[in-house]
Amino acid sequence: MAPVTRDQPSLRDAFYQLSLCEPVPDAEILEEFVDRYPEHAAALTEFAIALVLDAAEDANDQPVDPPSTTTSPAVSRAMSRFHNRLYAVKKAAAVQAIESERTTKNPFASLSRTELRAIAQRLNVTTVFVMKLRDRQILSDTMPQDFQRQIAEELRAPIEVVIAHFAAPPEMQPRAHFKADQKPKISTKQTFEEAVRSSGLTPAQEKHLLSL
Amino acid sequence: MPRVLSKRDRNGNQYTRLRNIEIAVAAALAQDIPTLCRRAAIQDRRSPEYLPSECLVHLIREAHRRDDKTTMTDLLPPLLERCRRTLDRKVSDRIPNASVLRDEILGQFSELFADDGTGDSPDELDFYEVRFNSAFRALRINLLRREKIARKGHAKRYAPLPDVHEVEPTSDDDVFARMSEHLRTPANQENTLALKNLIEAIKSLPADERDAVVLCHMMGYEVESEDPNKATAATHCGVTGRTIRNRLRRAAAKLSRFKENG
Repeated sequence: MAPVTRDQPSLRDAFYQLSLCEPVPDAEILEEFVDRYPEHAAALTEFAIALVLDAAEDANDQPVDPPSTTTSPAVSRAMSRFHNRLYAVKKAAAVQAIESERTTKNPFASLSRTELRAIAQRLNVTTVFVMKLRDRQILSDTMPQDFQRQIAEELRAPIEVVIAHFAAPPEMQPRAHFKADQKPKISTKQTFEEAVRSSGLTPAQEKHLLSL
Repeated sequence: MPRVLSKRDRNGNQYTRLRNIEIAVAAALAQDIPTLCRRAAIQDRRSPEYLPSECLVHLIREAHRRDDKTTMTDLLPPLLERCRRTLDRKVSDRIPNASVLRDEILGQFSELFADDGTGDSPDELDFYEVRFNSAFRALRINLLRREKIARKGHAKRYAPLPDVHEVEPTSDDDVFARMSEHLRTPANQENTLALKNLIEAIKSLPADERDAVVLCHMMGYEVESEDPNKATAATHCGVTGRTIRNRLRRAAAKLSRFKENG
């Protein structure tokens, strides 16, 4: 037998809600659901009929079973499905996390060198400092919020995009040139203060940034 | 304090756990795994040590949120064992592929725990923390319904049949009056067997007759109405009122014979 497919979440919820009604649904309650989901009227009616019969049968059917210490083969098979599904769900979540990390939009990505220099000027920092911002080399939680807002305005990007950009892991620009034989590894992120102190800024620029 | 549920009832109100479940959950959260495993294996609801299924669902979900695979693997099997016993009782061997269907229902239920917090219905298990048996009944009935549809290849269920001949009027009112009385009578040893037999008899009627009986005599629908906007057994089944009455008469004749034989 092929696995039985599942209904849309809204219809599944309706089935659960009908089943959780106490006492079992009557004409009035079923009509409420049919009015809400007219496209599923036949399914809801069919379900309600089965539910009413099942509940009537259950009223007198509460056997007491002895304690169970062994796991039946049916439960073992269900546990196997649980583990397989859990593995699949975790794997999908991991793939999605990697994908989302990879596709986190870099609001600096489309800027030319000239534009980067212009932004550096307007922010009153060096190009080296702007590159650190671009390459996400500064810890976002050490960066003043006003400064992040200022950057968003300069880039004409939503503040959420800029915040997400700084929160993402550091990245190496694909166009970056390097002298070593091997591609340099991405270093760990600096604090805002460390970045300010190591970007060739004048004492006045440093003082301004650290006062934000 | 157990986590608040997010699913809502038909009136839009957030579901809440029953008071006794809240208390049981709070107590269980303070117990160690060996104690919980021992309690989870108890099937007798009257035992003071019995761990309600709603409570087990909560504990397994919390373990999932903590990524505590050991607790999940310890507590899910006893819950599945309870469900298996229910399925053995409720999915009759007369249904084609009964054992495969039981496996499918149990498997889909176990997968809800793996899917919890993800996918298109991340809080589906909330229903199971409110009233476990009712929620599991919904899953079971729905899967059986879908399997039946798949088996029949989406055949129109309520194909209206021509009323070739009118069934002779019989005193079906008496049969349904007795039936209603049986259904209303509180459960006791005396009527337990009679009620069980009655429900079995209704379930064994042809689908169109069974549906007419349930809609009219268990759910309170009128056979038909002059008001075209009013939902009736006839509108639900997509047939005329006369057809419904014929189905009810045929059903009454069978139920009456059943009573005499029973």
